[in-house]
Amino acid sequence: MTHSEAAMLRMQNISKIYRTELIETYALRELSLEVKEGEFVAVSGPSGSGKTTFLNIAGLLETFDTGTYELDGRDVSRLSDDARSRIRNEKIGFIFQSFNLIPDLDIFDNVDVPLRYRRMKAAERRKRIESSLELVGLAARMKHLPSQLSGGQQQRVAIARAIAGDPALILADEPTGNLDSLMARQIMDLLEKINGMGTTVVLVTHDAELARRAERNIHIVDGVVLDSPSQAHSPQPRAESAAD
Amino acid sequence: MILNIRPVLSAIKRNPTGALLVGLQVSITLAVLVNAAWIVHQRVVKIEQPTGINTRDTFTIAVSGSAKQFNAGAAETEDLAYLRSLPGVAAATVADGVPLTGNGGDTTVWLQPGHRGRFVPSAEISMDIEGIKTLDVPLIAGRNFRPDEIVPYVPGKIAPSASEAIVTQALAHALFPHGNALGKTIYGAVPKTIIGIARNFMGPQLGSPVYNTIIYPRLPGQGNYYMLLVRTQPGRRDAILRAAKKHIAASHRYGVIVYTQTFATANSLMDSSNRNVAILLTLVTALMLGVCCLGIFGLTTFNVGSRTRQIGTHRALGARRRDVVTHFLLENAIILAGGALLGAILALVIGEWLTTHYALPRLNLAYLLVGIVALAVVGELAAWQPARRAARIPPSVATRTV
Repeated sequence: MTHSEAAMLRMQNISKIYRTELIETYALRELSLEVKEGEFVAVSGPSGSGKTTFLNIAGLLETFDTGTYELDGRDVSRLSDDARSRIRNEKIGFIFQSFNLIPDLDIFDNVDVPLRYRRMKAAERRKRIESSLELVGLAARMKHLPSQLSGGQQQRVAIARAIAGDPALILADEPTGNLDSLMARQIMDLLEKINGMGTTVVLVTHDAELARRAERNIHIVDGVVLDSPSQAHSPQPRAESAAD
Repeated sequence: MILNIRPVLSAIKRNPTGALLVGLQVSITLAVLVNAAWIVHQRVVKIEQPTGINTRDTFTIAVSGSAKQFNAGAAETEDLAYLRSLPGVAAATVADGVPLTGNGGDTTVWLQPGHRGRFVPSAEISMDIEGIKTLDVPLIAGRNFRPDEIVPYVPGKIAPSASEAIVTQALAHALFPHGNALGKTIYGAVPKTIIGIARNFMGPQLGSPVYNTIIYPRLPGQGNYYMLLVRTQPGRRDAILRAAKKHIAASHRYGVIVYTQTFATANSLMDSSNRNVAILLTLVTALMLGVCCLGIFGLTTFNVGSRTRQIGTHRALGARRRDVVTHFLLENAIILAGGALLGAILALVIGEWLTTHYALPRLNLAYLLVGIVALAVVGELAAWQPARRAARIPPSVATRTV
């Protein structure tokens, strides 16, 4: 799809170091990259390359040690925990590998979770929940519990939950990792459909075939970007860098 | 985590066992807490309230003898004559109970014959004509018993009930709250006329409302057992007690002194008994409250531990730390509310049972309300620490696959 030149996500020289008493491990090392508004980007790399750390930082799930991060034109590098929660809720839709649905809640209430945190009125929430479940083809299953659905259906519920709040950015962490190939294709179709409606999608995966379905691939190895338009800003990988 | 009660209820419904057990624990704790606090209050009141009798100069001597050979009627008459003749004795009486000691009877005073209508629990004591004077209790209305009204003890026969009674102010008010009790008829085994109203004093039964006492004009002796109550002039008590013990011990061939006790000692024992009951009940209740808090703490800790991924997911989806704390406190509050509802009913049932069977004043509802609030506060405090720990779970937990 066509997208604007405005950056949805801009990271500059981001480093993330995990420290123990004995060692320091660089998960990301001066990583710089940019994702334009409306882009569908796949972030791939081998296990331990720093993909999940990147996703955690991009999703404001974790802080970082150095560098700057702008999300949708706002510097979110140093925000309070409450402010980060609010931005996560309003700007970002998460799709997790293990679906992360709340087993105690039915499908309707699961999709409702982020909307309640936004303190939306009940009628508006209902409208959004029904519309997003309609989009993923599960409008008839609203009163089902997650345990009554297949893996693919559960992931579609998670996608409905991610898009119900109309986020600017979807972050998908190995969304097909727990699904068979048919289900995986359906999920990718849905992500493409959502991207087609203007939402920026960042897909983190180690599956090269899935990554190829994105408009652009960013390859992370040992905590640095290898082949992105912004890779010129990134240093070369170092052997001692590590882990997600 | 969601600012709404419905999802919290869903979580409880999905795993109800722990919540039910803790709710039950809360209800039992509340019922015990409220009634124990009410009993402790009664005991403390008893410690603080004046006895209403002269405890400084009064003592008792209890005498008993062999059923076949001991003539209690003759012995008590002889002992009374001796005691009243002693210089320094202000008054002496014979009685079937001793105030402040628990040694004596209790009864139910009815307002209608045939054990119908309203009734009031009361301590009872039978004494002779000098009873009121011995206890140093003034009459505030009516008169004392006349000698011809005293029902004598006849060996081998059950003494008939008296037809007159003197009641304390408290009992008079409890029986006739809107009128004068003097001259009114009350009912027990036989009808009795209230001929006098005495200033409040503590009777022999400590379980009854503290100042509810009724006095009958009757000489004891049933079971060949009687108590002599003696009030001396100030400063003469111990000397007269020694002399009286010596004389009475020597004067009855088949009777013995079972015990002697000053009213000062009895008062002190009563106070320490009340204090011990109050302390014991407070400790037991505190222990129950502590165990209940442990239950709440344990359940919340378990819930936090078993929902780590869920909490991380909620955080990732926009929950603030205080939303997480609120969720667990709300979940705990619902369990507490359920427990409190059942506990309130249980507390009232137990309170009513104590009133009926142990003449405890009816449970003050303020105690129930304070108990509910106290348990709610303590219960929420017990859940506070694990709830805070839950709030510290980072949102990045949501992306962990192991």
